[in-house]
Amino acid sequence: MRTDCLVGAFAVLFGTAYTFQAFHLPRAMIGNPWAPLYFPLALGLLLVVIGVVVILQGLRHVAPPKAREKGSKRLIVFTVLICLGYTALFDHLGFIASTILFLGGLLFMINGARAWKINSVISVVFALGVWYVFEKIFYMNLP
Amino acid sequence: MELIQNLFLGFSIALTPLNILWMVGGAVLGTVLGMLPGLGPTTGIALLLPLTFTMRPETALITMCAVYYGAMFGGSRSSILLNVPGDGAAVASCFDGYPMAQQGRAEAALAISAIASFIGGLIATVAFVVVAIPVARFALRFGPPEYFMLMVFALSATAAISKEALFKGFISLLLGLMISTVGIDYQTGVLRFTFGMMELQTGIDFVVVIIGIYGLGEVFKNLENIASGGGLQPIQKKFSRIWISMDDWRRSIVPILRQTPVGFLVGVLPGAGATIAALMAYNNEKQLSKEPERFGKGAIEGLAAPEAANNACSVGALIPMMTLGVPGSGTTAVMLGALMILGLQPGPLLFQQHADVAWAVIASMFLGNVVCAIVNIPLAGLLVRVLAVPPRVLYPLIVALAFVGVYTINFSVVEFVLLVIFGLVGYAMKKYKVPTAPLILAVVVGSAMEQNFRMALMLSDGRFSVFFRNGICWVLFALAIFSIAWPFLSSWLKARKAAI
Repeated sequence: MRTDCLVGAFAVLFGTAYTFQAFHLPRAMIGNPWAPLYFPLALGLLLVVIGVVVILQGLRHVAPPKAREKGSKRLIVFTVLICLGYTALFDHLGFIASTILFLGGLLFMINGARAWKINSVISVVFALGVWYVFEKIFYMNLP
Repeated sequence: MELIQNLFLGFSIALTPLNILWMVGGAVLGTVLGMLPGLGPTTGIALLLPLTFTMRPETALITMCAVYYGAMFGGSRSSILLNVPGDGAAVASCFDGYPMAQQGRAEAALAISAIASFIGGLIATVAFVVVAIPVARFALRFGPPEYFMLMVFALSATAAISKEALFKGFISLLLGLMISTVGIDYQTGVLRFTFGMMELQTGIDFVVVIIGIYGLGEVFKNLENIASGGGLQPIQKKFSRIWISMDDWRRSIVPILRQTPVGFLVGVLPGAGATIAALMAYNNEKQLSKEPERFGKGAIEGLAAPEAANNACSVGALIPMMTLGVPGSGTTAVMLGALMILGLQPGPLLFQQHADVAWAVIASMFLGNVVCAIVNIPLAGLLVRVLAVPPRVLYPLIVALAFVGVYTINFSVVEFVLLVIFGLVGYAMKKYKVPTAPLILAVVVGSAMEQNFRMALMLSDGRFSVFFRNGICWVLFALAIFSIAWPFLSSWLKARKAAI
């Protein structure tokens, strides 16, 4: 199965990189210098071994080619970009303004501009509602 | 006598107005979250986790338990009305619940699922009360080597849930343990995998991992379906009286009583979980039935049995978490994490040092079941309207809630980036069918597991034989090996049976 091979390959690559990093961790100044390294080294090596097993499993069980899965990654990519935009604006614009833009952006992306009324109402009500709950009920300060 | 006194103490704390309010709120929220396909109890608790930071420990745990049971009650609503399980545990409820609804018996299906859940939950809570203290007392004998072996068993049982996903489960598990190694090493002060970033020195908060993997990852997966035009079907909104006939009751009561212990035992064992409990209960009843041909065509006992089992399972799953401090499922791992944030360490000492919290939670299990039954029988017609909320509105709100929740952990936007990363990791794991529960379990117990491992080695001057120093260690080791071998063994046995 192709997906198994991909998962296995990821495990081998990630395990190798992790083991390499673990090997180069600073040694402990007190006690056994290798003490903080044992556990990570064991994890990294195990991940490489299991990754190889998963690749071999994937190569052995060749499944009939599946129809291409329906679904689009466009919305996921845009959601990630909007989330990163929110991260950048949060401290500058404050919670209410940035959250209205963030949630509004997500809703407009999914529902389109035609549903502008409902998109705008939900964004504003959510931002103000959450702000009220956190500030006035939980006494947590939001920027 | 001591038991009764403790229960009274628990009820006196659980019955305060604030705790009752949160219990009802948690039960309603849990029911709603459980109903919505794709959002199970783990996602629900993960999203609500930051709310509990401001609560007292007992209130936080009571709320989370209420969300947990609520989700178990609510999961079957969409199974019955839409043939789409609200969560994995409600899969078996589709088999006979949906045919019942199609035959115009939605009211009886909704009622029996809530009644069975109520009875299952109640009996399991009684069993919890009986079992909890002896288990906690026994666990006082555990030292670092025993705890390490117990964690090895819990983690391997969770990873080895099926033969097909066995190795992928271990990849998930190892990734979780790796995440837990980020930050300062508590024994030597060495900084590990921080790459010079100050924010990583205290490690990666498991709340971010949990909300990312379950909350955001789930939304990313569902966004694909929205994009491809997938959505919810229209649902029945008008119901007559939601109740069952005497004949329905007669058919259901024995299966409920028979499958509750099965669900409870499956819940106590780490790894298996409510989905397996429900499927097991369904198959058991089908095999025991004199009319197995009715199953799958709207047999009420085919709905009652798995519903009782999955609720009993959710109560059973709290035993290892509360008495041993080692969770056996994704949901209880999240709850354990929340308790650690609140400064409590679940485990055998919880019943000694924080008896008020432990017994308040146990008392709340009784009350929570009653609340869930009230929410799910008379109010079922009202609550199922939530299923009509379009996912196009729901998912952006979940994303926004996830960000607000994560912000309240450290009041820093650095966590936002980690949240997105873990959201993508969760999405990829679901896409490539890598189980997520082992990763969450490992993130929560990873640090304690490493500390116990190293403390055990220090106690024995580096001799690995310390991990086999007594019978408890050997039994736990054997259980770990058995849990890994079981998927292979069971498929071999099935193949052999088929050949005969």
